[in-house]
Amino acid sequence: MTTTVPASKIAGLVFGALLIATLPIWAGDQYQLHLAALIAVYWILIAGLNLVVGFTGQLSIGHVGLLSIGAYGFAILAGKAGWSPYAAMLASGALGGVCGLLLGLPSLRLPGFYFAMATMAFAMIVNELVMANPDLTGGGVGLPGPLFPAPFGTPTGFYYLVAGMAALVTWLTWNIARRMWGRAFISIRDNPVAAQAVGVPVLRAKLAAFVFSGVSAGVAGAVFASLQSYITPDTFVFELSLFFFVCIIIGGRGSLIGPLIGTAALTALPELVAPLAKLGNLFYGVLLLLVVLVVPEGIGRVFEIVGERLRPREVHREPVSPDLPRLARALKERA
Amino acid sequence: MFRLTKVVARLSAAVALAASAFAAQAADPIKVGWLSSLSGPLSSAALAENEGVKFAVDEINKAGGLNGRPIELLTRDTAGDPTKAVNFAQQLAFSEKVHFIIGPVNSGEGLAAAPIIARAGIPNLVIGAVDELIDPAKYPRAFRVINTNRQWISTANDYALNTLKKRKVAVIGDTSGYGTSSAKTATELLKAAGIEPVYSVLIDPNKTDLTDEMNKARAAGADVVMPWSAATGLLGRLLNARGDMGWKVPVVGHPALMASQIRKLLNKPDYWEEAYAAGYQSTTFRPDGKLPEPTQALVDKIRPKLGNGELDILFWWVAMGYDTVKLIEHAVKTAGGTDPAKIQAALENTRNFRGVYATYTWGPKERNGFPDSNMAVNAANTFKDGSFKLAPR
Amino acid sequence: MGTVIVSGLAIGMVYAAVALVYNVMYSTSKVLSVTTGHIAMLGGVFGAYIIAALGLHWIVGLVGAIVVGAVFGWLTEVLAIRRVLARSDEHLWLLSTLALATIVQHAVALWWGTEPKPFPRLIPQDFSAGVMDQKFWLPVGCAAVMALGLELFYRRTMYGKVFMAMSEDAFAARARGISTDRIRLVSYVLSGALGGLAGFAAGQLTFAFFALGHALTLSGFIALAVGGLGSNVGALIGGAALGLLSAFASYWFGGEYQQTVAVGLLMVVLLVKPEGLLGARNVRPV
Repeated sequence: MTTTVPASKIAGLVFGALLIATLPIWAGDQYQLHLAALIAVYWILIAGLNLVVGFTGQLSIGHVGLLSIGAYGFAILAGKAGWSPYAAMLASGALGGVCGLLLGLPSLRLPGFYFAMATMAFAMIVNELVMANPDLTGGGVGLPGPLFPAPFGTPTGFYYLVAGMAALVTWLTWNIARRMWGRAFISIRDNPVAAQAVGVPVLRAKLAAFVFSGVSAGVAGAVFASLQSYITPDTFVFELSLFFFVCIIIGGRGSLIGPLIGTAALTALPELVAPLAKLGNLFYGVLLLLVVLVVPEGIGRVFEIVGERLRPREVHREPVSPDLPRLARALKERA
Repeated sequence: MFRLTKVVARLSAAVALAASAFAAQAADPIKVGWLSSLSGPLSSAALAENEGVKFAVDEINKAGGLNGRPIELLTRDTAGDPTKAVNFAQQLAFSEKVHFIIGPVNSGEGLAAAPIIARAGIPNLVIGAVDELIDPAKYPRAFRVINTNRQWISTANDYALNTLKKRKVAVIGDTSGYGTSSAKTATELLKAAGIEPVYSVLIDPNKTDLTDEMNKARAAGADVVMPWSAATGLLGRLLNARGDMGWKVPVVGHPALMASQIRKLLNKPDYWEEAYAAGYQSTTFRPDGKLPEPTQALVDKIRPKLGNGELDILFWWVAMGYDTVKLIEHAVKTAGGTDPAKIQAALENTRNFRGVYATYTWGPKERNGFPDSNMAVNAANTFKDGSFKLAPR
Repeated sequence: MGTVIVSGLAIGMVYAAVALVYNVMYSTSKVLSVTTGHIAMLGGVFGAYIIAALGLHWIVGLVGAIVVGAVFGWLTEVLAIRRVLARSDEHLWLLSTLALATIVQHAVALWWGTEPKPFPRLIPQDFSAGVMDQKFWLPVGCAAVMALGLELFYRRTMYGKVFMAMSEDAFAARARGISTDRIRLVSYVLSGALGGLAGFAAGQLTFAFFALGHALTLSGFIALAVGGLGSNVGALIGGAALGLLSAFASYWFGGEYQQTVAVGLLMVVLLVKPEGLLGARNVRPV
């Protein structure tokens, strides 16, 4: 079953894609290129997380732990062990997936709050393990993040690498969301009991979504380490998990474009509005609360509502106009 | 959305330019980027350094600017987040195209920002203590103003081993990044001096009571306790545990032992006795009760800006911030401009430049400018007006 | 060794008190709020503020901490719970309480500062008291009093019985004329007051520190999950277990693996007995 996509939406998507593809040309300087690359890296993780949070409704607030695992995996393999960065990136993705499986197996059976707490604890444990093994991870000092070889070693080249990977992940999640798995996820989110009654393998589906998000988080961690050129445990704090989470909720659960716009907006906002750098976390909390209370479907819904107001859909009116004289005659006849 | 940043940046630059040129001609400003964690952890140090930096910039601008050009200070609050430090470093380097960058303050942020600043070739005045921040080959234009972590540790070790003549050392670190690496370095340096620590432990900075660890240290026969942690909560509890147990052992370690917040965390004021920490000659009262002249001069000049009362912060932070701007002035005057290669040469050839905080010397292969001779050991409970007295010899 | 046991027990009882607060909130609303740890943090911070910064007597500080906790509990219900429960989406309350918790944590960080600040001495006592020091026994006493008080509340008072009715079956309670919305508000105010008291009692142990919020939410939750949701005695047992285990683990292995140990305990209990040691088997009609 496919729904017809309006022409305006397709045009908008194509235009957006063109903008993204030509960004290095019209972006002002290397700083804005860096910011765009950061958004792309975050989006690789958030697109995967979106499947878990937005579609399957599993509220994971510990994904920064998987990002950390991917980043350290890449830094250790490509840096210390001297692997090729591409191989290290794939290995980070695999490592993220395995950790997602290990975390998900015991936790996904648990009810919502228990699961959220388990993921939060997981992120703390990853940080503890990183600090406790300084010979491997550099401990508090951290590790340098190796660059990719040419042509991806330059900022522009690297931007194209991550933008391409982000596009790939977006395409993958879009396909998953559109088809059978996506509908299974949504059914689990909305009513797990009914989903189970209909025959959806609830645990297996949740696990699949979680492992996918682990892989994407691992890969995101790898390119994050390369982008930042140096990683320390201070980067992987709980507030970053919260940030990913807020991007999805604000964008709207169950959609792809919404979280994408949410990610871009929330990453760029503290750069543009200087006081937000200090009040950033407070702002994210307030924003999350407002969205949950007022528009739980996300800001995308706000745009839809405003769109409706400005350009209301045509409502066919079929006025009911009774033939009153005839009715009067009929009543008079009876009387 | 991106274009707007540029417009706003250009507008604000224009406004700042107009506002900052008093007697100076409307010349090309010298842009100095300042990456500071004004909020978040370790913000007390950053806020104090900020005062020093601002004061120096104002002082130079009021006197007509640097070579006739006003200094434009672009402050960016990194809030202790390395990702923000990287983003702002990129912004300052490529968007604002600053001529110098001071900071970042936190070592974690510094480690993340250093490669970016190096890639942009911008001279960087480093004020983080972690050893890995400096590398003449990888970061040729990064010059360290603060002392190195090793200088802190070896000063404290020297006091404990050679002055107090202790042999059985208990090394206490915390589980944070700085704590683990400092404890490791401290143990290395002790072993190089022929001492094997009798007790070594890493403690969670939020652990509520340190009586167990102190008991274990006492049971191991320690005769000096050396904590390497910047967490004031942990240090306060350590001193409390020592006092509550009635254990008369000297504590020699990180400068945070002398921070004024510690005093408030202590159960009794006399728990601060026999606590010594690495400090500086420039912020130590001499036997006649006076500070060195440059330090006293700066204290008097800047006191109105700091609330006009008795200073409650560590003054060396302020002095260090002041010195970074003075070093920029020296570099620009020597190089005759802001050409990065000439600035690098100017700083490399700096010998014994007298600042308030220290006298700096760098070299073609030497990027740590802080002299060993400026290190001192202070007694924590002699805190007065931002400075200390020497620990007993 | 004595201090290990006593300090482990003391911090365990702080976790137990937080678990009791969870229980009270859960009984009427079936919601586990992320803000629970933050109530205790506020109790400690405001207690320190009132006594140390404002210089008032510690009784005023105690009352102040309880009032602040109660107000925050009320705020939690009004802002984060009420409108959200009305919608059928199950997990929105997790998001709204998480948002409120973040707001409170960072607002306190901005106001109070990010350094731990001292909590003043409440009862004059010499500092060399060692294991008998009040900073250990205040949380233990507080948790015991809270648990006892709650038991009496549930068994002897009308409101307590109404709480129990609501926790068993909210629809039936409503059908019998109980104003469930108002009772829920009362339960949140009560839980806030209890949380504030717990934070105040724990102040000398933990110092007044803004980052306690998330840490106590997680640890209090582990105590709750281990002991069993809905059981007050279970909360005490779970808290004691967690506190003692953490203390012994860091005594023997060092402080590096504290979180791992705590979560390990949680995972083991959840895998063996998912409803906790003393919890009731959750049978849900579909």
